[in-house]
Amino acid sequence: MDPRRHLPLLLALAALLGLLWTPHDPDAQNFRELALHGPSGSHWLGVDGLGRDFLSRLWCGAGRTVGLALLSTVLGLGLSAAFLFLAERFPKTLGRLIGSAVNLAVALPSLFVGLLLLVFLKPSLATLVLSVALGNLPFAYRQLRVFWQTQRAAQHVEASETLGSAGWELFRRTLWPNLRPAVATLAGQLAALSALELSGLAFLGLVPNPDFPELGALMRQNQSVLAQAPWLALAPGVVLAGLLAAARWRK
Amino acid sequence: MRGALPILFHKLAGLAAAFLAASLLLFTAVRLIPGDPVALRFKNPDPARVAEIRHHLGLDDPLPVQYGRYVGGFVTGDWGRGLLSGRPVAGEFRSALTATLELTLASLLWGVPLGAAVALVGAGARGWRRGLVSGLGGVGLMVPIFWLGLVGLVVFTHWLGWLPGGGRWSFSDLAPPERTGFLLVDALLAGDFSAFAAALRHLALPALCLGLFPAALVAGTLTTRLEEPSVEILSRALSARGLSPWRLRARHLLKLAAAPLAVLIGTNFGALLGGAVITESLFSWPGMGRLLMTAVLERDVPVVENALLAVLLLSFLAAALADTAAVILDPHLRRAANR
Repeated sequence: MDPRRHLPLLLALAALLGLLWTPHDPDAQNFRELALHGPSGSHWLGVDGLGRDFLSRLWCGAGRTVGLALLSTVLGLGLSAAFLFLAERFPKTLGRLIGSAVNLAVALPSLFVGLLLLVFLKPSLATLVLSVALGNLPFAYRQLRVFWQTQRAAQHVEASETLGSAGWELFRRTLWPNLRPAVATLAGQLAALSALELSGLAFLGLVPNPDFPELGALMRQNQSVLAQAPWLALAPGVVLAGLLAAARWRK
Repeated sequence: MRGALPILFHKLAGLAAAFLAASLLLFTAVRLIPGDPVALRFKNPDPARVAEIRHHLGLDDPLPVQYGRYVGGFVTGDWGRGLLSGRPVAGEFRSALTATLELTLASLLWGVPLGAAVALVGAGARGWRRGLVSGLGGVGLMVPIFWLGLVGLVVFTHWLGWLPGGGRWSFSDLAPPERTGFLLVDALLAGDFSAFAAALRHLALPALCLGLFPAALVAGTLTTRLEEPSVEILSRALSARGLSPWRLRARHLLKLAAAPLAVLIGTNFGALLGGAVITESLFSWPGMGRLLMTAVLERDVPVVENALLAVLLLSFLAAALADTAAVILDPHLRRAANR
């Protein structure tokens, strides 16, 4: 197993570990006398302005960002696949409707989708994930449709059909093996895009509570001590950029 | 040109559909969600008083009547008064949009030339010149713009002390008389160079940081376009005629790329506005972002219904115009559209 090939996966898992375990409780204000102190033996990245261990908050934040981005990627891809299925099944009616809706919606960034959703819903994790998933839906749908149509029209698929393969069997044995790499790449792209947008929305304040540890939200929280302790606001961005670089990693 | 008209009609029909869908969505969302926007304003709502205010705002009329009034008001520019500020929504929207457009246009003004220059230098090259393209693309795709803004604040505001930490204007600077609403333009019109410098100092960091997004976009797309085989053949033919590489890039390739560039920016106008909203929040810029976020979180009905609808329509409109322009400018697409 070549570790370089699995770098994105390993990094994502390392980040997700922050959801289960961190050196200290990311929300506990146990070290108020140390507030804004730099790195030390027990607090490797120092303590934030409210006396919370920064490494724990950063780790937990990275885990949240990765987890939520993966959730919205899965949701976005799933919805795209479902819409694509419906559009292919009923091309005259639903297909046209979905096509026009996607052409329109592509102009809306997830930020505006998020604002629209906020009219209905309270700021919460579900709103956050839904905004990003729906915001990227037109992009994901279009990409999936291109992959699907090129594969569907391929000659070896036609050959399989002539030989009597159809339905699920045709999909599983003939279409999916060729679709899989493209879908995997798309998923990687979507995950990176989602993490970026998610942290942007969190930075804007679209989080359940103002102290919520998430990379974008951490930057907003620590912006108030930017003059005294710039690393507290800057470190989450470095972590995020590293994660995104890994998600777009090509060997 | 023949193919452009049907496309334009098609796009206008789409725009009308978008208007209908978005206005209905906002209308029902604001009214039918539990949590009355009027009762929300009171700690201990007195039913009689709430009913009186609802009546005053016209919230107790039948829904079709309300919807008709809403759409009619939106189209004629009568957007009502904000529940929070008590000021006319149209005026608040205009000043917020001016601030946002000032930021957005300034960022385009330096971002697009930067992206184009990087693409012209890097396309088809190897080594550091190509590295410039992938570097800028990487920054645009992998680094959040608000993080760059934070770095800018640390360096230029806290360490060097050169630039203000946020806002569009300082209390200590004398504002130029308002004509266009764009501070830079107003200062120039008044011939007031110290006001111009003050406005520029406030605009510099947010515009620099937001501009990297269009720069990365333009550099990436343009490089892909310039590295297409057909373009390579053209540039080989032109250099065979004795054109120097730089003249070739500046004259011929840039002309080739101008049309797709306009389209690219139109298509991504919504995303650019979204980026502007985040930049605004970082630099406490008094633009659309602040107006919309407050309105949405506080359920300020007239602002949500009108200002949010206007912003959504603006993104749709920019994309529709870009698509139409693409068909007019690109013969391939025109042929495809006519078919």
